[in-house]
Amino acid sequence: MKGQDPMPNTCPPASNGDSKASWEDSKDIHENTGATKKPKSPKPENAVTIAVSSRVLFRTEKEQMVFEQQGIEEYLRYQVEHENEPFAPGPAFPFVKALETVNTQLRELYPESEELFDIVLVTYNHAHVGVRLINTINYHNLFIERFCMTGGTSPIGYLKAWHTNLYLSADTEKVQEALAEGIAAATMFMSDKQIEVSETQLRVAFDGDAVLFSDESERIFKAHGLDKFFEHERENENTLLDHGPLKSFLELLGKLQKKFYAKGHRLDCPIRTYLVTARSAASSGIRALKTLRAWGLETDEALFLAGAPKGPMLEKIRPHIYFDDQMFHVEGAAEMGAIAAHVPYGIAQKYPHKKNTKTSK
Amino acid sequence: MAVSHLFVQNCAGPLMIALQYNDLFDLLSISTSTNTDALPKGRAFTFIKAVQTVNERLVDQNKTESLLFEVILIAKECSEEIKMKIVESVKHYGIPAALLYDQADHHVLNQLKVIFSGDVIGFSEDSLDSLSDFGFGETQIETFKAAKICVKEFAVLIGQMRRRFGHENSPLCTCVLSVWGSRNICATALKTLREWGLDVDEVYCLAGAPCSPILAVVKPHILWDGGLHNMRDSSAPS
Repeated sequence: MKGQDPMPNTCPPASNGDSKASWEDSKDIHENTGATKKPKSPKPENAVTIAVSSRVLFRTEKEQMVFEQQGIEEYLRYQVEHENEPFAPGPAFPFVKALETVNTQLRELYPESEELFDIVLVTYNHAHVGVRLINTINYHNLFIERFCMTGGTSPIGYLKAWHTNLYLSADTEKVQEALAEGIAAATMFMSDKQIEVSETQLRVAFDGDAVLFSDESERIFKAHGLDKFFEHERENENTLLDHGPLKSFLELLGKLQKKFYAKGHRLDCPIRTYLVTARSAASSGIRALKTLRAWGLETDEALFLAGAPKGPMLEKIRPHIYFDDQMFHVEGAAEMGAIAAHVPYGIAQKYPHKKNTKTSK
Repeated sequence: MAVSHLFVQNCAGPLMIALQYNDLFDLLSISTSTNTDALPKGRAFTFIKAVQTVNERLVDQNKTESLLFEVILIAKECSEEIKMKIVESVKHYGIPAALLYDQADHHVLNQLKVIFSGDVIGFSEDSLDSLSDFGFGETQIETFKAAKICVKEFAVLIGQMRRRFGHENSPLCTCVLSVWGSRNICATALKTLREWGLDVDEVYCLAGAPCSPILAVVKPHILWDGGLHNMRDSSAPS
């Protein structure tokens, strides 16, 4: 089921002995013919650093199976044997491509600035896979110059060293560890259906509770039901919600958006953000909007679904990534072919959604 | 952190490491130390213990193993009293690694970590361009070339030693760290080391990012960069 693209005819086949010549050749072929030199990577503390694991950037199901069924020695041997076969794009690939598109435009408008996206590959994969991963990055013409392959030890320590602002991984445990360290993080899964996303505009969508905001209101809903939830939100309309794990990332996107506005690109800004919440506009949604406003944040669009399923809305928006704390919504999105990422935070992890309960908030 | 005064000679059998005694033991705190049995541990102590662990595992696997680490202490210009203390301390600390710990560094003792410079090994005439972006001049470029020749011997031996163990639970862990080079320079380094017989376990490519935060997590015992560590942490060496 996994599509693995064979190397195109333009690439020279690289045999194991032939190291230098084939790397130089493939570098020449795959770099933009128009560009004179590759731009330098920004300093981590200046950039918006996105750390991605190899399993979400690329599709590695086959290799994963070899590892699980035949163990590490066979897995590494297999990887080296298939070194010149690039991996196919994974769930985070469109998001990473869109980040690069934004970077290109930022560089044009602000050539001296280091306020850019910086993508780092952080994986606990073994260095034996390194050559194949670099080969794949070259093949897809991605601008990823930085990576950590930790050979089995936890990559979490490196996230802080890279000033990571967002971590995407296939491993929920690693994501939870990152969240516990205060780093925005989400788990991504490969789905069979994938709707087309924009190549000119980065679109990021967020759930409200337990993603942008804390899970305090969800706790009320889970413990005391819908009516109590409405009552509580009405009573506390003017009290700010506490922040959630993805608030800081929305903030960083906002900062970059303002750079485009400053150069007259408000209407055609290459970054667009969405709030997609089960709250309803007339009642519980007000508290959410007031909170965002008080934080000095905004999303370009706020969609209050009042409990309606999120899938059809996401199919309309076509985000490069949608963050939700409930697997139920993530799976629903995947069914429609929308790219969704799970934020394993808050009360919903202990009490997952049951399909027959009402979700209107 | 890395041992700065490390000399490695290639002999037919063992991999010789020469250490200055004042790296192994901390002589400056002698007067304040109330312990009369042994000298206090110095900054290279955990490194030596890790080396010992590798040797123990090699001998476990093959009682007649000749490819072992051998450590010689260089102790010149010290009094007879200090010399005696050194001998006693070496005997004193001949205990299994698990009991001893360098409090300041919290190094892992059951694994020796060796880093090779991806910039030095992946260096080629074509990578000159990207290196000059970081401010390297002609003499420094010559240093890269010389360093690459030196590191090969060491890499070959470490490669042989590494192959005595499997991918998991190895007491010897090898890494490539490239500070300035692009991902393709890093890839060249990985392939070159493989040609020399060493398939590393971990790889880090910084592309100009500061390396101390990363090294603080990697925690190497040996950093083999041919003396270029003085140029670390600066994107433009002065």
